[in-house]
Amino acid sequence: MRTSLRTNGALALTAVAALGLAACGAGSKTASSTAAQVTCDVAKPSKPTTVNVLAYNSSAIDPFTNTMVSSCSKNDYTLKHEPIDFPGQVQKTTATLAGASGTYDIVETYGFVIPQYGSQNKLAPLNDLFTKYADSYKLNDISKDMRAAMTYDGKLYALPMQAQMYIMAYRKDVFDQVGLQPPKTFEEMKTAAKTIQEKAGIKYPIALPWLATGDIVTSYDCILGSLGVNLTNFDTKTANFDKPQAKQALDEMIALKPFMDPQVTTFAQPAVQQQMYNGTGAIAIMFSGRMNDLTLEKNSKYAKSFAFAAPPKVAADSAKLYDTLSVDGWSIPNNTAVDKDALFQMIASSVSEEASKASLPAAYPARSGMVSDSSSPYAAAANVSITSAPPAEPYPWTADVSNKITPIIANAVLGKITTDEAVVQMQQAATAAIAAAK
Amino acid sequence: MTISATQDVVARKVLGADEPPRRRRFTGTSVLVGGFLILTCLAMLSPIVWTAMSVTKPTDVAFLNPPVFTWQPTLDTFVDLWQTTNFYQYVINTLVVAVISTVLALVLGLPAAYALSRAPGWISTLLLVVALIFRALPRFAVVLPMYDLARSVGLYDTTFALALALVAINQPFTIWLLRNFFADIPTTLDEAAMMDGCSRFQVLRRVMLPLMGPGILTAGIFVFLFAFQEYLTATILTDVNARTVPVFIATQLGQTLPMLQQAGAAAVLFTIPAIAFAFIAQKYIVAGLSAGSVKG
Amino acid sequence: MKKREFWMLVTPSLVVMVGLLAVPLYRTIEWSLQNVNYGDPGTFIGLSNYTTALTDPRFGRAVVFTVGLTLVVTAILLVLGYLLAVAVNRLHRMRPIVLGLLLLAYVIPGLVGATMFSWLFDSNFGGPVNYLIAHVTGQDLLWFTDTWPNRVVLTLNIVWFLLPFAMLVILAGLQSVNPEVLEAAKIDGAGPFRLHWNVIIPSVSGVIGFVILISLMDVLRVFDPLVALSPQAAAIGNESIMFYIYSVAFKDGGQQLGLGSAINVLLIIIIGIMLIPSIRATAREGSR
Repeated sequence: MRTSLRTNGALALTAVAALGLAACGAGSKTASSTAAQVTCDVAKPSKPTTVNVLAYNSSAIDPFTNTMVSSCSKNDYTLKHEPIDFPGQVQKTTATLAGASGTYDIVETYGFVIPQYGSQNKLAPLNDLFTKYADSYKLNDISKDMRAAMTYDGKLYALPMQAQMYIMAYRKDVFDQVGLQPPKTFEEMKTAAKTIQEKAGIKYPIALPWLATGDIVTSYDCILGSLGVNLTNFDTKTANFDKPQAKQALDEMIALKPFMDPQVTTFAQPAVQQQMYNGTGAIAIMFSGRMNDLTLEKNSKYAKSFAFAAPPKVAADSAKLYDTLSVDGWSIPNNTAVDKDALFQMIASSVSEEASKASLPAAYPARSGMVSDSSSPYAAAANVSITSAPPAEPYPWTADVSNKITPIIANAVLGKITTDEAVVQMQQAATAAIAAAK
Repeated sequence: MTISATQDVVARKVLGADEPPRRRRFTGTSVLVGGFLILTCLAMLSPIVWTAMSVTKPTDVAFLNPPVFTWQPTLDTFVDLWQTTNFYQYVINTLVVAVISTVLALVLGLPAAYALSRAPGWISTLLLVVALIFRALPRFAVVLPMYDLARSVGLYDTTFALALALVAINQPFTIWLLRNFFADIPTTLDEAAMMDGCSRFQVLRRVMLPLMGPGILTAGIFVFLFAFQEYLTATILTDVNARTVPVFIATQLGQTLPMLQQAGAAAVLFTIPAIAFAFIAQKYIVAGLSAGSVKG
Repeated sequence: MKKREFWMLVTPSLVVMVGLLAVPLYRTIEWSLQNVNYGDPGTFIGLSNYTTALTDPRFGRAVVFTVGLTLVVTAILLVLGYLLAVAVNRLHRMRPIVLGLLLLAYVIPGLVGATMFSWLFDSNFGGPVNYLIAHVTGQDLLWFTDTWPNRVVLTLNIVWFLLPFAMLVILAGLQSVNPEVLEAAKIDGAGPFRLHWNVIIPSVSGVIGFVILISLMDVLRVFDPLVALSPQAAAIGNESIMFYIYSVAFKDGGQQLGLGSAINVLLIIIIGIMLIPSIRATAREGSR
C-alpha cells in the first residue's frame, strides 16, 4: 500500500514537473502574437481591465481579431480571444446579449443580425463615437454602402471590417481536363457537373453548404434573389412565398441534388472546404472568407489547382447572381461594463488602413480601394460578385423569418414534403413572424 | 492493511490477483474466448487509435477522404496546439477544478460518511435511496439554477464555482462510497478509543482516517475522475476564464483545418491521464464500482 | 452516537447539498410554473408550460427516442457485459492489462470519446468505417443524415463507454458465485448454456439489477454524445430529452427557461417511473 502510494506520488510529481516545463512555449505562437501591429492608443483605464472578444475563427476574420488583440493589449488593457467555431459564436452571441450583463465586450456581427439586435436595443449605437473618431482613424474611408448595411433605423450598430460575398471555387485542372469553362448559369453548372461525373470520375462534383439547421436558408435566399424576388416585401409587410419563384427556387435546389454529396444537409462551410481538400468536390460556392484556406498547401494537395470565379446566375435571364453580400463588423454590446469609448477606439484601430492591408489576401476589407484584381487569386471574382449580388433585406423580421423557414426548406430538399406543401408552410410561418415583429 | 479488507478483497478477486497459477490449455473454447476478447479490445480501442493516427498525419491527409493508411508521422499538430492556442490554460483549469473538487468532496464527505456509518440501519437505507435519487436527477434541473445563481453572485465562469457545483452533484455518491468503507471498520475501535477519553472528532481523525487510506483514495479518484470527465456542467458554468478541455474540444467541432486537427490532438492528449486512470488507478476504480453492486 | 455529534459531522455536507442540490431543484420547479428568463423574477403562468410541453410533438418524439434508446442500450449492455465478464473471468495474468484497455472507454470524457467516434464514421472527414463498408458492400451509409444509421452510431457510442462499467460490475458479481454449486451442476451434466442460464445468472441477479438500474438512469439522461454525433438531432428525430432541454432553456440565452424547466420536471417523473422497480429492489436489498 505504501509502496504503491510512493510510486503514484512519484508519478504525480513527474507529471507536474513535465507540465511545468512544458508551460514554457505554451501559447507562445498564438495567432495574435504573429499579427500585424497597428496604432492603438487608448487612454489608460482606472484599473486593469480585461476585454473579452467574441469572434469565430476563419482565415478572413482572424487577421482583424488578432490585430486587435495584439495591438490593443497594453496600458492596463488585456484583450482576450478564445478560438470558437461559427455555431459557437452564434450561440454565445445570443447568450451574452440576453441579460443585464454579459461575458463579451466586443462581438463580431454581420449584416443579417443587425436589424434584429438593433431593434431589440442589444447593441450600442455608434454614430456619435464614429463622428468623434472619424478623422483620427480615417473612418470615412470605410465604404458607405457597408456602413449602411450595418445601420438600422438610422443608427450605426457595427463598424464594418470586411465584406463577404459568394465566390465559386473550382478545380481548374479537372475543368481543363474535360474541356470546361466556369459555368455562368445553373444550367451550365449542372451540365458541367454531369460531364465531370462521367469523364473525371468525381461522383459529387457540386459542393454547397446546405446545413439543415443553418446554411441551407442562405442558399435558398440566394437562389430566390437571383430569380428577382426577396423573402419578404417591406412595404406591404407580406411574405413572398406565394410567388411562383418561391417554389421554383426549391425545385432548383432539388435539381442540384444528384450532383451533391448525399450528406450535404449536414455540411456547413468547413465540411464543404473539406470536400474540396479531399478532391471529392469540383465546384464549390460559399463565402469569400473561406477561400484563402483552399489555397494553402498545408491543407490540401490540390491547393494550387483551384481557380475562382463569380458565382453563376440561376436563370439565363436573371439580373443578379446566385450570391449574397454580407458585411462583417465589430459591435459593442449595450450590457458591457467596459468604457464604450475605449472599446470603440479598439475596434476602430482594428479596421485601420494597415490592419486592412494586412488582412489581404484572405479578407475583402470594408475600407474603400483596398482590393484590386491582383490582391488575391479570388479578388477579381470578388470584385465582380460584390456588384451583382441580390439586395439585402435589413428588416427587423428577416432573421426570424429565415429561422422559421429553415426546417421547412430542409424538409423539402430532403423530400419529406413536396415543394407545393413547402411554400404553403413557408408562407404561413413567415406571415406569423412578420406579424410578431413590431 | 487488514481493515477495510472487504473492499480490498473484492477488488483483488475481481482482478484475479489471488488465484493460483493455472496451467494453460488451448482448448477450442479458450481459442474462441481469446478471439472474442481480442476483437472486443480492438473495437473498444479503435476510436482512440484512429484519432491518434489522424493527429500524427500531416494536415493535408489527416482527414482525407478516402482515408490514408500510410503516412509520414509528425508531431506538428501537437506543437501547433500547444503554441497557437490557450490549451495549456484549459489543462490548468481542468486540473484546478479536479483538485479543488476532490479536496472539498473529501473534507465535506468524510465526517458525514463517518457519522452515517455509525447511525442506525434505517438511516443508511435512507441514505442509499437519497444517493440514488440524486444520482438519477437530470443535471440540467440542478445546473441551470446554478448558472443563474453564479451569474447573480458574480462567480460565473470561475473554476471555484464549477468545482463547487461538481462537489455538490457528486456528494451523495461520495458519501455513500465512503460510508461503505467506514462500515467495514468495527465499532469496537470507536468504543475503545472513546473509553480512552477521545471525542468523536478525535476518533475520526486519529483512529478512523489512518485506516481509511484505500477508501479515501477510491473516493478521491472517483471525484477526480468525474471532474475530469465533466462536459455538461462545465459548458454551462464556464465561458472564457474557466474553460476546461472538454468544453474547448466541443467549441472546435465546427472548425476547419488545421484547427480541427488540433482539437483531435487535444483529445489524444486528454487520453493520457485516462490511461493513467485505467491502469495505475485500476484497483481503486474496480473497488469503487464493485462496492455498490456486491453485497458482502 | 450522540445526536449533537451526529449533526455536527453531517451539517457541512448537508448545507452544501441542500444549498446546491435541493434549492436549485426547487428553483427548477418554480421556474416550470413561470414565464421567466435568467436574472428576471418571472411571471406566474401556472401549468401552461406543462401543457405546451406535453402537446408539442417534438417532446413526444424526444421521449419515444430516448426511452427506446435506453431500452436497447440496456439490453445490449447486459448481454455483451455478461459475455465479456465471463470471458475476462477466465484470464489470469492478462486480466489487469485487458481490464485496463477496456476501462479506457469508460474513463475518457464522454464528449471526447464521442468526437473520436464521429471521426470514425464521417466519410467526408476520412472515416474508415464508411470506407470499409463501402469497400465490402458497396453501400454508402449516411451516418449523420439518416435517422436509423444515426441511431446505430449513437447506440454504438453509448454502449462503447458504458460497457466497461457493466462488465466490471458483472465480473465482481461472478466472484461471489458459489464454486460448489457450480461443481454440483457440472457433475449433474449441465452444459455451458444451462450452467450460465440456470446457475450463474440467478446468483448474480443482484449485480445484473444494478447494471440495469445505472444504465436506465444514465441513458435516459444522455447528452454529451449527441453534441458530437448528432448535430442534426432534432431534424432527424434523434433528439434526446436532455438535448431538447438544452436547446430550449439555454442555447439561445434562455428564451424559454420556463418551458425547459417544465421538461426537466417531466423528465424527472419519467426517470422515476422507469426506476421504481429498481429502487424498490435496492431498498429491499439494503434493509436486509
